[in-house]
Amino acid sequence: MTDRSLSTQVFQILLSLADQDLHGYAIIQDVAERTDGEVRLTASTLYAAVKRLLDQGLIDEVSSRARDDDPRRRYYHLTPAGRKTARDEALRLERLAAMARAKRLLPSPR
Amino acid sequence: MTVRVYRALVLLLLPTGFNDAFAEELVSVYADLDRAARARSGRAGAWRALIGEIPGLVRIAFRERRTHRTLRARRVAPRLEENMFDSLAQDATFAIRSLRRSIGFTIVAVGTLALGIGANTAIFSVVNSVLLSPLKLHDPDRLVAVGEDSKAATTPSVKSTSPASFFDWKTSSRTMDLGAYDPGYSRTLIGMGEPQQLVGTLVVGGLMDILGVRPLIGRNLTPADEDPGAPPVFVLSFDAWQRVFGEDRDVVGKAFTVNGVSRTIVGVMPPGFTFPAAPNDLWFPAQLDAAVRVNRDQYFLGVVGRLRPGAGIERARGEMSAVMDRLTRDWPKFNQGNRIVVEPLRDTIVGSVQSRLYVLMGAVAFVLLITCANIGNLLVARAAARRREIAVRRALGAGTGRIARQLITESVILAVIGGVAGVAIGKSFLKLLLAGQVTTNLPRVEEISLDSRVLVFTLGVSLVVGLLFGCMPAWHLTRERFTDGLREGARGSARQQWTRNALVVVEVALAMILLTGAGLLLRSFALMARVDTGVKPDQVATLSILRRKPDPNFVPTLLERLRGIPGVQSVAITSMLPISGRGIGAWFNRIDRPLPDNVQPSGEGYRVVTPEYFTTVGIPLKTGRMFDANDRREVPAIIVNEALVKKYYPNENPLGKPVYLGAPDNRLFDSAPIVGVVGDTRDAGLGSDPLPTVYIPFAVMRSWPFYSVVIRHSGSSAPIIASARGVVRDIDATVPIMNVQTLADVVSNATAAARWSTTLLGVFAGVALMTAVLGVFGLLSYMVTQGARELGIRIALGASSGGVQRLVLSRGLGLVGAGLALGLAGALILTRFMQSLLYGVTPTDPATFVGVSAVLVLAAAAASFIPARRATRIDPITALRVE
Repeated sequence: MTDRSLSTQVFQILLSLADQDLHGYAIIQDVAERTDGEVRLTASTLYAAVKRLLDQGLIDEVSSRARDDDPRRRYYHLTPAGRKTARDEALRLERLAAMARAKRLLPSPR
Repeated sequence: MTVRVYRALVLLLLPTGFNDAFAEELVSVYADLDRAARARSGRAGAWRALIGEIPGLVRIAFRERRTHRTLRARRVAPRLEENMFDSLAQDATFAIRSLRRSIGFTIVAVGTLALGIGANTAIFSVVNSVLLSPLKLHDPDRLVAVGEDSKAATTPSVKSTSPASFFDWKTSSRTMDLGAYDPGYSRTLIGMGEPQQLVGTLVVGGLMDILGVRPLIGRNLTPADEDPGAPPVFVLSFDAWQRVFGEDRDVVGKAFTVNGVSRTIVGVMPPGFTFPAAPNDLWFPAQLDAAVRVNRDQYFLGVVGRLRPGAGIERARGEMSAVMDRLTRDWPKFNQGNRIVVEPLRDTIVGSVQSRLYVLMGAVAFVLLITCANIGNLLVARAAARRREIAVRRALGAGTGRIARQLITESVILAVIGGVAGVAIGKSFLKLLLAGQVTTNLPRVEEISLDSRVLVFTLGVSLVVGLLFGCMPAWHLTRERFTDGLREGARGSARQQWTRNALVVVEVALAMILLTGAGLLLRSFALMARVDTGVKPDQVATLSILRRKPDPNFVPTLLERLRGIPGVQSVAITSMLPISGRGIGAWFNRIDRPLPDNVQPSGEGYRVVTPEYFTTVGIPLKTGRMFDANDRREVPAIIVNEALVKKYYPNENPLGKPVYLGAPDNRLFDSAPIVGVVGDTRDAGLGSDPLPTVYIPFAVMRSWPFYSVVIRHSGSSAPIIASARGVVRDIDATVPIMNVQTLADVVSNATAAARWSTTLLGVFAGVALMTAVLGVFGLLSYMVTQGARELGIRIALGASSGGVQRLVLSRGLGLVGAGLALGLAGALILTRFMQSLLYGVTPTDPATFVGVSAVLVLAAAAASFIPARRATRIDPITALRVE
């Protein structure tokens, strides 16, 4: 897994869960807000990804949840492995950006 | 609603394993999204969101199933509840695997199917474009063709009418808006490089508005343009605009010289508009002067009407009949015995080819049915060979329904692959048909294409075909106990044998019907080809000329110079070539026996010719004399053909009898005696009776503008035609030369339609015969292999090889006999629909039926002979040891 880059959508889902546990609809909203609507997840794409992330142990389900919440809602939580995968991906992106900067594709930060 | 659809999709498409864990949550999240989308952009937004979900769903459906399968391989207990997609996908995978295993069978089946479906696709493309799709005009179902015909005509057809009658109809009608046209005007346009030869249609009574066509650019022709004082204008077809003017938008408003008159282009019509028939390059308003507007004896206007809102065709017919009654009272001389015919416009355009195309469509459908029967036969044989496999699967718990579905899935997949290949084959076949110009004589030929409707048709046919032959082996399954299969192994059951026999009988019967149809067409065609055309077409070259300015010396000079070309034997001019139609007609009046006042004379075709015409094209003189240089305007004479003598002078000597052509006050010439009688020519087509025809000397009708030159020559025609072109150019370089062809071409064009339908039906019948014979052969070979043990025992018990051979042969011929009987019955019923395509033979022509039966029996006997021979060589020892 580590040698393969994550799809934008999967990476965004992991990012959403980086600092909070969220249920499905909240993930979609969070991603849309952070990317200014550029990445729009559909329910199907979200759960296709959730299923795989669960299978790969990158996220897991949270057992405790707020009492007044819809009981059908399940909350998802980033596992340490998931956190590492997301960080690796972020680092990979950063290395890419650095290379682009070295080739003057991007302006270097002061 | 959208949420419910989504839930249904999830449950239907996604694997059960996934749904158990996520379905509810997925749907609840989707419900949230749906609510948000609805709040943002209403119902449309909700549907957009639903459509956006589909790719994701499909991806899960496939991806999860893949992992699901690998998991299932390790699982012990099968899951009972699986959804439709699960088992369908499984069936499909299994079917593809099993088809791949018997690749030879698959290739043969797909190949024959593709051919059958391809032929259907191509012919259906033609039928679809010509017969089924609506005319490319605004609201075409409300357009009607209106015309005049004699009350005596058994099948009334829409014929042209005179200007005065047209205007009477137009002003009287409350149910229709009427317009008229006269097509086929040859026009020379000057101002775009070389003089351009264009074909135009004369438009009367605001026709363009009635057709409801909007110009692409510029404006339409209006009734105001038809005023004799209005500035001359015209509109271009899209095609001519592209071809001649290079799509230059600025041509609108420019003036060009058209046949010597300066005319302004006011508009360009949209692509595909070629009314009344392609090719048509331009339309110009008829600026009929007062004399022409009141003319009642020149029948040249085709009339089109648009039914007004609320009016149906029956009301229009009733109204026109009342109009005719009134006109008959007012103008008995012109209207007595006539009626006004109103028909849907579409019918008058395509009516003539309807039966021809439907017969062909029926023929290809039969070919496909035979193919189906053949593949069904193969499948039943395959099912027999797979009996043990299937029995094992059933023993392991597969339900009958599941196995039947499996077999049907296999055939549907086979048929769909065949269908896809069939579209490709159909496309090339259609291209072949169009390139071979077999469709030349069809109306709307420019519209023929393989469109989405054809694709839907092909897909539908493939599915039906797949279900049809897939059901046969499946049907067997449901009616046999699987223990039989385990016991008997790969030997077919009696019931399967029965089905296979029945299929072969059906194949032979269908082939018999097709062969009969083809045989009848072939015989008509042979008879037609043997018909005496009335001319001697070999070594006669023809070309057409349009003389724009009257020049009395042009024709004499032309004939003189053409005669000077080495190899030319005789040269003449005619207003219309023989065998190419009736041409212009006029009332035929006997001066020695005038008709009573209230009886309308009938119109007869006439041709304007120079003296040598008859010898040049080979029309024999029967009595009297040919034309000569003394027949002039001042002392006219005419020659008639035998058909005219038969009609007007039965038991009389026509020679010397005076006649005139035209209406009393509008005669082509005042009076002329008949000086000769010549042989008949089949001007209305080789299948039709000769028409009464009058020949008028060219010198009597000097102002004729358009004519054909006929040249009888020795040697080959190419150098003669080249020299003739040179001569014309030399005399007047502005004279356009058209339609260069030999008289033999003209004659062969007359049979083109019959020729191509005969050829196609012949090919289809040949394919049918071959398929049916292969079916007989396959069945008997299989029978010999499967029955080897029985035959072996017979041989061991002392049956002679002749006896064994007879046994096999008699089985084969028994089937063929049954098929033949069935086919004869079918042919007797179906060939009557071909009546209108036949010439000289009846639909039940005994000779054809006997001949076709003989061909079929011989072919089947030949096919039976090989397996029969093989049967005699069976070694009883090996045969008994098998199994």
